[in-house]
Amino acid sequence: MLNAVIYIPLLTGLVVLLVPGSRPDLVRRIAFAGSAATLVLSLVLWAGFDAAGPDLQWRSTADWIPSIGAAYDVAVDGVSLPLIVLTALLLTVVMVYVLPEHDRAHAHAFLFLLLATGLLGVFAARDLLLFYLFFEIGLVPMYFIIGMWGGERRRYAAFKFFLYTRAGSLAMLLGFLGLYLSMEPHTFSLPAIIKAQPLANAPGASALVFFGLLLGFGVKLPTVPIHNWLPDAHVEAPTEGSVVLAGLQLKMGGYGLVAVLLPALPQAVQRFGWLLLALALLSLLYGALAALAQSDMKRLVAYTSINHMGYVTLAIAVAAMSTSASVRSLALNGAIIQMVSHGLLTGGMFLMVGMLQHRTGTRELARFGGLIGKLPAYSALFAALAFGSFGLPGLSGFIAEFQVIGATLNVSVWIAALVVLSLVIMTGVYLRLAGVLMGRSPESMPSLAPLSARELGLAGALTAVSMLIGIVPGSLVAAVSGATRLFAQF
Amino acid sequence: MPSEHCMDVWAVVPEMVLAGLALALVPVVGFARGRWRAFPAIAAVIGLVVALAVTAFMLALPPTAAFCDTWAVDRFATFYKLLLEFGALITVLVLASHFHGHRQMPHAPILVLFGTVGGMGLAASLDLGLIILFLQMVSLPSYLLVGLVRSDRRAQEATMKYFLYAAAALAVMAYGLTFLFGLTGSLELRAIGKGLHGADQVWVVVAFGLVLVGYAFEATLVPFHFWAPDAYEGATAPAAGFVSVVPKIAAFGGLLRLLLEALAGGEAAWPLVIAAVAVATMTFGNLVALRQTGLKRLLAYSSIAQAGYVLIAVAVADRAEGAVAAVGFYLLAYLLMNLGAFLVVAQLERTFGTDSIRAIRGLGRRSPWPGAAMALCLLSLAGIPPLAGFAGKVFLLSAAIDGGMTWLAVIGAVNMAVGLYYYVRVIAEMYFETPLRGESVTGGIGYLAGLALSVAGTVVFGVVPNPALLLSSLGQLLH
Repeated sequence: MLNAVIYIPLLTGLVVLLVPGSRPDLVRRIAFAGSAATLVLSLVLWAGFDAAGPDLQWRSTADWIPSIGAAYDVAVDGVSLPLIVLTALLLTVVMVYVLPEHDRAHAHAFLFLLLATGLLGVFAARDLLLFYLFFEIGLVPMYFIIGMWGGERRRYAAFKFFLYTRAGSLAMLLGFLGLYLSMEPHTFSLPAIIKAQPLANAPGASALVFFGLLLGFGVKLPTVPIHNWLPDAHVEAPTEGSVVLAGLQLKMGGYGLVAVLLPALPQAVQRFGWLLLALALLSLLYGALAALAQSDMKRLVAYTSINHMGYVTLAIAVAAMSTSASVRSLALNGAIIQMVSHGLLTGGMFLMVGMLQHRTGTRELARFGGLIGKLPAYSALFAALAFGSFGLPGLSGFIAEFQVIGATLNVSVWIAALVVLSLVIMTGVYLRLAGVLMGRSPESMPSLAPLSARELGLAGALTAVSMLIGIVPGSLVAAVSGATRLFAQF
Repeated sequence: MPSEHCMDVWAVVPEMVLAGLALALVPVVGFARGRWRAFPAIAAVIGLVVALAVTAFMLALPPTAAFCDTWAVDRFATFYKLLLEFGALITVLVLASHFHGHRQMPHAPILVLFGTVGGMGLAASLDLGLIILFLQMVSLPSYLLVGLVRSDRRAQEATMKYFLYAAAALAVMAYGLTFLFGLTGSLELRAIGKGLHGADQVWVVVAFGLVLVGYAFEATLVPFHFWAPDAYEGATAPAAGFVSVVPKIAAFGGLLRLLLEALAGGEAAWPLVIAAVAVATMTFGNLVALRQTGLKRLLAYSSIAQAGYVLIAVAVADRAEGAVAAVGFYLLAYLLMNLGAFLVVAQLERTFGTDSIRAIRGLGRRSPWPGAAMALCLLSLAGIPPLAGFAGKVFLLSAAIDGGMTWLAVIGAVNMAVGLYYYVRVIAEMYFETPLRGESVTGGIGYLAGLALSVAGTVVFGVVPNPALLLSSLGQLLH
């Protein structure tokens, strides 16, 4: 079943390539059907998941490269399951969003579906080599997506994206090889490594591996100061590319930190907790301040991502510094829910900005105002998503940030105060965004067509799921905390 | 020396099949006209398939030494022979399409066969005399392949450069071999290995340094790589593909044998020397490749960098368990992806008469299948999973860390990140720009078959590396 979820996108992608070139509409429909099937099956995975059961469920293993101790090994736990469902959901959203786009539809659909298989595989892989393989499959198609359908500076942005990613991944690969060679007999199996803790008493080697993994995951997250690729990639990427980039690909970094780095090297994470904390605070404050300074809406949303992902790093730092298992668990729960929530809300925000750009050809904040009178439905959804990202109670962002800040307070009031400072700056950011809705329309504002049912449905669906998590978080929190309790036991 | 081991003709059946076929074809080609020009290529394909089958059968033989202990029959040699025959097979297929209807069409396969036999002999030779002989035998047909188009003045210049370089490098190497003989009184690698233990280290270092020059020349290691970009640029693309693969693989096979059989104790500090050459080779290859605008020159510098990656594992060949298998696997991956890339360049060259990076602009749109094949080969050269080049790089880096050379693995990884730039630049030209000219590249059954073999291998050995890795680890045992 898990394999079906992982490979249906890839198979759909291969089928799409066989569709005759004159039928882009058929390509779109097949791609949509494949992603919808993935979503349904991922929900079946969720329904069959026992939050109180064993930590790895739906496991499926096979020999892969036995001579070097690498196996095909996929399974879900409480951390990966929500991200798998999120991937399937956002893939479906993207496929619906692009239904009317017919420019090189075959390659477009194939790349997105290939990328989805990579992402689903990353969240399911329990073997480090397999993880790395899926990690790159989840990234390389985005290079082509930015380069082929992006804006004017697409070649530069695509290349920057690829180079940052590649440098990070190679550092991560060396880290994985370090873990692999420290096991006796050599193995890439993540559960075995977590159980054996091969580098627990090797401070030098574990520091090297720690920095390798931190570089790999930190670039993807991204954390300041290795975030520089993100604004360019987002601004040049097509709307659907930004949705996947922010909604899903950043989660590979967060997931790697929580589910690979922390459990495999808990001592090193504790030793370098101060570094993670510094990176987290830097990302929180810098992301917020930089967002405040933007005039391009897409760039603004891109910088808020850096702020939001800062909570994930913060949660790990707090988990490393706290001595209480319940505080650790609280922080990590917050991190996972933040990732899901950010996927929904920021994915939604990119869609909203994309819709405006599609209608008017511009994303300049100053060009818009008073939308509430002209596009009421759009404005309502825009407001819900924006304030949800900011942490309005009732949506998923609140649950996530509340938990992380709560855990932080348990460790240090001063750190929490800095986090609150970043929240204050973020208030300014969202007030600027809200300016698009309120106030008077500028003279030069372009005319706007109302939203189609398709667009309305997409943004509405993302808002609704976020609200569902915000109002009844029980099922998600139960699944997540089962897994984070395990990670918190070091 | 038991005389019954001095005339074991069975040990050279694959070589005899290929060499015999090549000799039989020599008098024939002069008369080949019209459709019969394809005859040598077809015969060579059949001969290579037969040789591959016979060689594969020889994997099952117990290791032994034939011809008075001068010729190894072991899985190491057999594995390298399989690689070389496979590379020759793809080259012959491509050449058949590339020179279709040209006067050179019947000549090219014969040269490929002779060069391949030379490479195969190098992988099996245990005797200094044979080593220098087979090195010449793999080089000579390569010069001729480079200069195949006699009307092309650049090709003639490239041939001359290649020839002069080779003559100098191989002479230096032969000089070095005389030192090994002088130190130990033997021409046999294994006897030299025993004899060197008590020898004066200064002279061992001198001998090793001189001998390394020959291998470094064939494998395009810095600083003996200067001929390669000019030779590749002057040659037609399929010939450049052959020269970038077959002599190089043979040289790595021969070098490993020399290091592990004659210098088994790490004499002359060869692990460090090799590691230093690895750093120089990959760094130089990558940095210069960044600035190339011709695809053949770009692939030439890329293949220099790739040779540097292979050396990463050669440097730890005597101490890391999986190093020799990693070298073998990487050479297989390199053969597939590099020939695949040269093949698409060959198609471009035949269609547009140029290999400039502008010719490839928009290829993804005007010829989707060759475009996708080129992209896959380049991504594999850059080490992106799930392609064979990725699996190979994992094995190389893993061997280096296992062998205690973590610093070398880190430098290797940094180089691999830098290398991404020029591979991706070509991909960006293919996919992110609109074509300058509308027509698609010419096809041909040979192109198609060669491309299918190399791309299928690149993908399959990337997703399921195990069979190939097992095959190459069979070759771990030298005797």
